[in-house]
Amino acid sequence: MEKARIFLTGVGGQGTLTATNLLAQTALEQGIPVTSGEIHGMAQRGGVVVSTVLLGGLLSPKIGLGEADILIGFEPLETYRALEFLAPGGIVVSSTEAVPPVSVSLGKAEYPDITTIEHAIRNAASRAIMLPARTLGKKAGAVQSGNIALLAAMLAADVLPFGVDALKATIERNLNPKIAGVNLEAADLGAEAALASNA
Amino acid sequence: MPHPIMDTKPGETRLLLGNEAIVRGALEAGIDCVTCYPGTPSSEAPDTFYRIKHAAPESAAYHFEYSPNEKVALEVGGGASLAGALTLVTMKHVGVNVAADPLCTIAYVGSPGGLVLLSADDPGCHSSQNEQDNRYYGRLAGLPVFEPATAQECKDMTKEALLFSRRTGRPVLLRTTTRVNHIRGPVTFGERLEPASSADAKPFVKNPSKYVPIPAFARRMRLELLDHLAAVAGESEQSPWIAEHGEGDVAVIATGISRAYLNDALETTGLAGRVRVLELGLTYPLPEKRIAALMGEVKRLLVLEEGEPVLERELRELSRRAGLGTEVVGKMNGVGDDFTHVGGIGLPRFGEYETSIAANALQKLVDPSFEPSEPVSAGKAEGELPMRPPNLCAGCSHRSLYYAVRQQFGDNAIYSSDIGCYTLGILPPLSAADFLFCMGSSIPGGCGMARFDKRPVLAFIGDSTFFHSGITGLINAVFNKHEVLVVVLDNRTTAMTGHQPHPGVDATLGGPNESMVDIEAVCRAIGVQNVRKVNPNKLNSSMAALEELSALPGVKVLIAEEPCVLYARRAMKKKTAMAAEVSEQGPAVEYCLETLACPAFFREDGAVDVDPVQCSGCMVCAQITKEREDTGAIKARKKG
Repeated sequence: MEKARIFLTGVGGQGTLTATNLLAQTALEQGIPVTSGEIHGMAQRGGVVVSTVLLGGLLSPKIGLGEADILIGFEPLETYRALEFLAPGGIVVSSTEAVPPVSVSLGKAEYPDITTIEHAIRNAASRAIMLPARTLGKKAGAVQSGNIALLAAMLAADVLPFGVDALKATIERNLNPKIAGVNLEAADLGAEAALASNA
Repeated sequence: MPHPIMDTKPGETRLLLGNEAIVRGALEAGIDCVTCYPGTPSSEAPDTFYRIKHAAPESAAYHFEYSPNEKVALEVGGGASLAGALTLVTMKHVGVNVAADPLCTIAYVGSPGGLVLLSADDPGCHSSQNEQDNRYYGRLAGLPVFEPATAQECKDMTKEALLFSRRTGRPVLLRTTTRVNHIRGPVTFGERLEPASSADAKPFVKNPSKYVPIPAFARRMRLELLDHLAAVAGESEQSPWIAEHGEGDVAVIATGISRAYLNDALETTGLAGRVRVLELGLTYPLPEKRIAALMGEVKRLLVLEEGEPVLERELRELSRRAGLGTEVVGKMNGVGDDFTHVGGIGLPRFGEYETSIAANALQKLVDPSFEPSEPVSAGKAEGELPMRPPNLCAGCSHRSLYYAVRQQFGDNAIYSSDIGCYTLGILPPLSAADFLFCMGSSIPGGCGMARFDKRPVLAFIGDSTFFHSGITGLINAVFNKHEVLVVVLDNRTTAMTGHQPHPGVDATLGGPNESMVDIEAVCRAIGVQNVRKVNPNKLNSSMAALEELSALPGVKVLIAEEPCVLYARRAMKKKTAMAAEVSEQGPAVEYCLETLACPAFFREDGAVDVDPVQCSGCMVCAQITKEREDTGAIKARKKG
């Protein structure tokens, strides 16, 4: 994929912006022209956070309906909500672990059935990689590093001009050594999970 | 440890946020003074100056301050610039309304040291109450306007705008929009100039006829400002911030982030090179000769600009004035984004543009019979999905106070709200925001309401907002004998925009705030007779205070003081030893979930539970269940 529009979505407080930044940084270090953008509405926890990474010389930081080549969802309901941004033939990488909105906890709204979500994603995407990101993060040593597992899973799909090793190199170069180890481990777990999900 | 923005060497490239790139541009220009009021989407610009300053003060020779409001920020900046300091003042679009008074006159008085005002507009209202287009302020006050579109331009244009302002001795508007402030892209660093005030001192020389706009002098100043704008217009003809490319008998003129959408649209439509393009960076005053020359060579001209048809009107007028037959097309052709409207070209006057909008307009420009097709998505969610609005955090003390207010008043009072985290109390079940105008409006707005509505009126205002412009409203309330119960939701920081300090905080990055301004003392000094202070996490005491104050006449103030939970955790390093736990399921627990709606609560297999990771240990839920006689209890449990 020479040019790629990557749409990332998650819940505030999950660290989606950190992941977005790392992905953009990896592209930059690989010498690929990159533009990235973020919208976090009111800077509060618990709302939807949407960000973008555009590779290959695209200048617009915004991705319109049906324009995303890759959709990375850090939470399944948000992946589902953002599905209309996915281009025909696009790829989805999503966590399968729900973070219910307050309206659901209050019993005022219903969280869609997770198998319905999975089915819709698999129907829409040319390739869908679903993994329990938070659990993988926890296994690596920190719940927050689940985001890196998702990024690595996407890179393991071999659709971008760089792969998991490039991400790991960026992590080693840019993250505080105290947390780099956990994130490197999360990257490995994500890449493994992607291969297993492809099998 | 030095900040990466200081650490990177000239010639090296770094990935920067648009707002960070603005900071680097200012540093490269030799910035002396930065003032601001934080506000999304501008906040990361001043925040970065603040962090750099405190990470390595020895290499950050500029003065930085968080001002209580934008008017004050611009006035301090104006004074600094008169003293020869190269100055940047930052704010969001609505903040410029607050600063509009000094702005329109600083343009007359001038800014010998150089003064750039960053106005971060928010098309699409991502985090704002309106989407006003501040390019009008450039026209209104008479300020040249620079509009960057990429991270690299954010850096380069900020530097250029500052140096331009210092050279001309007059203020400049640096206008961005949300997508530009929050774009992230590679930025190649340049050399840092020495701080302007030491490299080239411009001490203030008294000259009242030049700097004091009494009417006799102001009339002359007005003419000088017009001369200045004419000179800038002449200069802009050769501006390096104009890019021209492409060929053909139709043209596009684009500014701001629309240039990015245009770039991608030219590619997706395959029209690159087949349309003449003029990209404007310095967007006011216009290079009219250059534009007229272009217009004379094309049949149709498309104007791409988000927001209001500011440029379009000027180009239509220019086309007529120059006696050209060029047809100017833009958002004035149709209504909104309605393509079916006669002449409509699909350019909305609200919200943001995107690549497809630019692409459709381009294709319509080239081929008037073009009809756009709906975007094709790979899939779409079925039915209504549960929304996920931003929410008051688990353990937020505003939630506790709102709970107490609802216990006391329910729907029988009117809630006047203000700008801050606490506006999120609008969501049910708290439903604690009935109306809102702008920052600082809750007290005077509430006063006006109370004059003509018999119900009790409560005005909620945060601590930062109190200092921003709450004080003047409170003074008015006392003086004009209004009936209002003011609740100051004092969480000890400017929480909504990212925990910036204000005059009332206990500490800043520089250490303890030795000159802390005490809100309670201010209220008493203004003349408020009845002031009470409570810890909002102690429900009984806040309810008692609300009951007592509501029975009293006149202006009453309740200060609900408790640090923002996120701030307490991140900055004050407060560890919570306890977490709430449902010890007994039952109606009281259900009631608590339904009325408090704390996001740490969740329901699993019919049972209510509390997520110990999210719980901050405020124990308001335990107090609520304890008060209830029906069964069910929540108790504190050691975390870990």
